Amino acid sequence: MEHKWGLVVDLDRCTGCEACVVACHAENNIPTAGEDQAARGRAKHWIRVERYWEGDFPNPRVRFQPVLCQQCDEAPCEPVCPTYASYHTPEGLNAQVYNRCIGTRFCANACPYNVRFFNFYNPQWETPLQLQLNPDVSVRSVGIMEKCTFCVQRIKAAEIQAEAEKRELKDGEFTTACAQSCASKALVFGDLNDAASEVARLANGNRGSKLLGELGTKPNVTYLERGSWQDANNG
Amino acid sequence: MQTTAEQIEQDLLRPLFHSSAKYWIAVALATSLLLAGVAAFAYQLYNGIGVWGINSPVFWAFDITNFVFWIGISHAGTLISAILRLTNATWRRPITRCAEAITVFSVLIGAIIPLCHIGRPWLAFWMIPYPNQRHIWPNFRSPLAWDFFAISTYLTGSTTFLYLPTIPDFAAVRDAATGFRKKIYRVLSLGWQGTPRQWQRLETAMHIMAVVIVPVAVSVHTIVSWDFAMTPVPMWHSSIFGPYFVTGAIFSGIAALILAMALLRKLLHLEEYLRPIHFENLGKLLLTMSLLWFYFTFAERLTAWYGNSPPEMAVFWESIRKQFAPLFWTMVVCNFIIPVPILAIKRLRTITGTAIASATVVVGMWLERFLIVVPALEHKFLPYSWGTYRPTWVEDTLMASSFGMMALLYLLFSKFVPMISIWEMKVGLQAHGGVPVVAAADGPVLAE
Amino acid sequence: MKALYGLYVDAASAQRAVDALRVASSELKFDAQQIVIVSGEPHEGYDFTDSQATSSPYRWAVLGAVVGGATGYLLTTLSQKSYPIFTGGMSLTPAWTNGIIIYEMIMLGAILTTLVVLLIGAGLPNFKGVITDPEIGMGKILVGVVDPPENSRVELERRLRLAGAAQVKQSIL
Repeated sequence: MEHKWGLVVDLDRCTGCEACVVACHAENNIPTAGEDQAARGRAKHWIRVERYWEGDFPNPRVRFQPVLCQQCDEAPCEPVCPTYASYHTPEGLNAQVYNRCIGTRFCANACPYNVRFFNFYNPQWETPLQLQLNPDVSVRSVGIMEKCTFCVQRIKAAEIQAEAEKRELKDGEFTTACAQSCASKALVFGDLNDAASEVARLANGNRGSKLLGELGTKPNVTYLERGSWQDANNG
Repeated sequence: MQTTAEQIEQDLLRPLFHSSAKYWIAVALATSLLLAGVAAFAYQLYNGIGVWGINSPVFWAFDITNFVFWIGISHAGTLISAILRLTNATWRRPITRCAEAITVFSVLIGAIIPLCHIGRPWLAFWMIPYPNQRHIWPNFRSPLAWDFFAISTYLTGSTTFLYLPTIPDFAAVRDAATGFRKKIYRVLSLGWQGTPRQWQRLETAMHIMAVVIVPVAVSVHTIVSWDFAMTPVPMWHSSIFGPYFVTGAIFSGIAALILAMALLRKLLHLEEYLRPIHFENLGKLLLTMSLLWFYFTFAERLTAWYGNSPPEMAVFWESIRKQFAPLFWTMVVCNFIIPVPILAIKRLRTITGTAIASATVVVGMWLERFLIVVPALEHKFLPYSWGTYRPTWVEDTLMASSFGMMALLYLLFSKFVPMISIWEMKVGLQAHGGVPVVAAADGPVLAE
Repeated sequence: MKALYGLYVDAASAQRAVDALRVASSELKFDAQQIVIVSGEPHEGYDFTDSQATSSPYRWAVLGAVVGGATGYLLTTLSQKSYPIFTGGMSLTPAWTNGIIIYEMIMLGAILTTLVVLLIGAGLPNFKGVITDPEIGMGKILVGVVDPPENSRVELERRLRLAGAAQVKQSIL
């Protein structure tokens, strides 16, 4: 059966440490925007940890919500791209083809999750940081949209390796950079079509919900959360 | 005053052969604005689109506002020329070419803006479906692909619609000119002679064009509105956008036309041809469109408020009460509160009155486009990623230069092409049995 | 090319002149096709103008629209089916979105066909010499004969004046 890549985010485990953000930057050659550009709203984080405060002093609760590209089955960003730079792969990924992108930024406007990012300038890394660029991932030049790819370079590498060795991919054989770096194992990545995989078990469990699910985008990222804040407060 | 065919020809050809100093000053100003824009664009190409104020999540701002604004202005010509032709409104005769020229030039500017706002403008040609080995192909499901087809069709149609009735006038200039100018106009007029067969063919072609161009114009601005409505963004995803934008386009188009006519009247001494009755009639049309605009705006806002959907209400309050409230209420004043009394009260519906109302409408409609694009993008579904937007000098310059380009194209047009259709004015003379009139609506002006 | 023509102040006298020339063409043995009429604006309601009316541009425009629509259909459907790329959970060739492209191509077909039919029907561009007169710009209508037979010149001039010509002139191109 075809793979269908999915991710599970366990909100009960997320500590907001943002190791996933750093790992994603390192793996995918995402430059830091710098203080000035970040103040102008141009920070690029393919996965970001959103922080919401609920309740008032003396018992405010903080809630961490990692948001990344949801790889929607019915992505609103795909039909609007005039050059097919954003399209759906047979393995369920929303692919961004950098070479086709002419930078209309329509996809970014259509995305309800604000997970698409634009290269406003040519990326720069202060020496010697350019030495740590990942050779498996292209560096995007000015005028191109980018977003989380579920570390497609790792997916492809694993698939090629498995095919060379004439075997099936095993669950847990590889994972995305963010899931790999998560200290509390809040992020789990894998093949949703593999009923025995960890991610399929968690995604189909009873704690799962989709972010902005009512919009009908059919995301492949499932958020796990145990009940409401009141339940948590009362024990 | 006696207006004969001869007088008409002399008056309307005069601007082509004589220009005042004021004219050249205006051309110089417009050219310098345009050049400033070219320089700003070069700066943007070199440094990257980061020199604009757009950010995440406000990826479109001034660029798309101006695009929609200029495409909107272009509906002037279609309404006046095509619809008034089809309904045999004879008072349209002196204003059809002014209107059609506005259409062609504003569609041209509107078509250039998207080419300049994309991240990699040098690849804009990928929108054209041409066979290639790189598997580059436009996505016909994208509203931007629809934009490409619609605007190309509209540009072709409106250029044809402008050019066809100008052929006999080019012939008139050819006959009146000498030397090098005569050669140019001989080419432009395609050797037009004026046989009955040619006249019949021309009028038939214009009739077909008038019938075809109206649905094209409606479709163009509807498709432009679908650039917004086809996304799930709150306050964008509304089915009212199609008719709302078309109405707003006709509204801003008539206003731009009145302004252009008021200016031309003074600059080219066309007082006998662009008479108060024309401004009165256009003023009545502008009043109707203002009321229609108010109706659509009210309907859109009321349904959003009544529906009380939280993402939409966030955007709604930003416009009505919070960050964008000054701009929003200025827009209402400019589009409705000022124009309606001026245009409704006959004593105020003079040339100056309609020109003032039109000027406020043009400002108000630009604000309307801005208030559609930016507040919604600033406040999408996830509050953590809400943002703000401020334009930079590059965007301001580009916007100003679009006005400069429009002014320059229009001024040059008035120098090379008779701004009022000579042969159509002569047909107007015929219709009154040779009694000299230039405006039928309020009774003929008899020969003295 | 020589021409002998009269200038008429209104369409009624021009019509009389045209009728007179038609009669003369059979009597004086020249082709009715050599009769030329030039005016600075169209005139309705007279035989010499209305006889030129034709509905063929309308039919051609409809044909152009059909061809445009077919082109649009083939463009969207064939190309999208040849290289299937799926976006947004939509089908490969959604009828409504393709319909918009097809609609624009229909209109474009009608527009281009109308332009071409006009150019062909009006004989444009025509850079050979045209018979014209400055008085046409002043509102007069030119009615005359191109390359009239030599021996009939005086007779033709008489008939042109009889029909009410303000002036009768000869021109050489």
